[in-house]
Amino acid sequence: MSAVGAFWDKLGPEILQGTLQHLQLTFFALTVAVSIALPVGILLTRLPWKGAVSLVMGAASVVQTVPSLALMAFIVLLFSLVSLPTIGTVPALVALVLYALLPILRNTFTGIRQVDPSVIEVAKGMGMRWYQVLFSVELPLSLPVIMAGIRISTVWTIGVATLCGLIGAGGLGDLIIKGLRSFHMDYVMAGTVPAAAMAILFDFILGRIENWLTPEGIGKEEANNVEV
Amino acid sequence: MISFDSVWKLFPNGVTAVQDLSLEVKEGETLVLLGTSGSGKTTTMKMVNRLLDPTRGRISVNGKDIMQQNRIQLRRNIGYAIQHIGLFPHMTVEENIAVVPTLLSWTQDKIQARVRELLQIVGLSPDEFKHRYPNQLSGGQRQRIGVARALAADPPVILMDEPFGALDPITREQLQDEFLELESEIEKTILFVTHDVFEAAKMGNRIALLDQGQLQQVAAPAELVNEPANAFVDQFLGQHRFQLSLLTRTVLSLLGESSQEPYPAEQERGPVLAARDSLIDALDLFKTTHQKTLAVRRRGEIVGHVHRSQLVQAIHEFLGEEEDPS
Repeated sequence: MSAVGAFWDKLGPEILQGTLQHLQLTFFALTVAVSIALPVGILLTRLPWKGAVSLVMGAASVVQTVPSLALMAFIVLLFSLVSLPTIGTVPALVALVLYALLPILRNTFTGIRQVDPSVIEVAKGMGMRWYQVLFSVELPLSLPVIMAGIRISTVWTIGVATLCGLIGAGGLGDLIIKGLRSFHMDYVMAGTVPAAAMAILFDFILGRIENWLTPEGIGKEEANNVEV
Repeated sequence: MISFDSVWKLFPNGVTAVQDLSLEVKEGETLVLLGTSGSGKTTTMKMVNRLLDPTRGRISVNGKDIMQQNRIQLRRNIGYAIQHIGLFPHMTVEENIAVVPTLLSWTQDKIQARVRELLQIVGLSPDEFKHRYPNQLSGGQRQRIGVARALAADPPVILMDEPFGALDPITREQLQDEFLELESEIEKTILFVTHDVFEAAKMGNRIALLDQGQLQQVAAPAELVNEPANAFVDQFLGQHRFQLSLLTRTVLSLLGESSQEPYPAEQERGPVLAARDSLIDALDLFKTTHQKTLAVRRRGEIVGHVHRSQLVQAIHEFLGEEEDPS
């Protein structure tokens, strides 16, 4: 117990601060990513021009393919060229948002696309306006898929956010880098364990939310089938 | 009442789906649009509630040009039932039926009363079914809800696109019978799309046969069978002609004017034919019951009896032979 106690006495405040910053980075990045990717994803399902879809999806995939460390470095470089701050939370958030966009965008698009066209047609045929079709038919039916995208993005963002320590944005990455530079494994542990725990915890919580948001009546196909 | 006046529908890809169609669905009538896939029957239907707009020509519903009306209002006044699921899977039976009344801002009390009434009409117990989701229903139950939903706001005009298409033959026949019964009470103007000749003959007051976007003939089922307007109609009915002839003639027609003395049905024991049963139904009942004569019931009263030989005679007539008097 004393070893853990000593560890906590030494690093407790830094762990708490790092965790808090990590949460803030993740939360802000996701809020921005959702508010961009959700409307854009919906818009893409409405565009008659197929090229737009592959263009936007392609761009998001390219960003996703770039290794996260390289992306962060690239943004620092870009920011220095246009004389924006190259260290701190601003470039870190930009990198995180770019990284979080694709899963939400892709799942929103495919989620709405997979809604049975005959259901949408009957909704129109019964006299729903476009926004009524969107909000009372398409979105409820694609919500599980969209939520899955947000969940993937969240887990990724928590991971990538550990790199934000490199450009002075704080977070648990700070502790890891400090530890690695000075061969202090207790610092490394103080950064990695909470970051990993956070990712697992969020994955679990969002999984629960996903379940809870899944409208009753879908996804339980084998449930009591009855006679005519 | 729905009227089509020289209606054309051309698609951007160059396909002419409907060509110069003029047709009238009379008030209270069920008109069946019959044809193979690609005949333009579904396109024709979708133009009525403006899911598709006609390229040329005029369509009016109850005397009003549909292009002069607000698309949304127009649709809310037309019942719509389609094949496939069509029910909203994330809504309960009650919520599904309540869609159009809700769009029309009915009060909650009125909506609930209407849902209850409709479930009873389609033969499902309201308390048992209103809170179920579509995936907790059988195919037949889903289609019943689909029909109930189309009737929800009591629209004068109903469009039905193969509403019984996805069902097994037994359930389908049962639903067709129930719907005929229901329809005789509600008096709606119905445009009904099907590719099934037998369904058309059974459900329609008149049938409009389409081929490649062109109207071939509009006639009552019996007339279509007996007096095909052209070679296509003749060929389309083809091998089904004999069955259709039997199907489009009712038991009532066998009775003639002779034995129409009504007396209460309770006095008749054993199997009874309904007046609107077809000759095929009659054949069936004679075969299964081994009776020499069967009573015919109409609106709860026995209106006469049919002898086995009368049925055989009618079949002989179809074969174009005179029955040997001996």
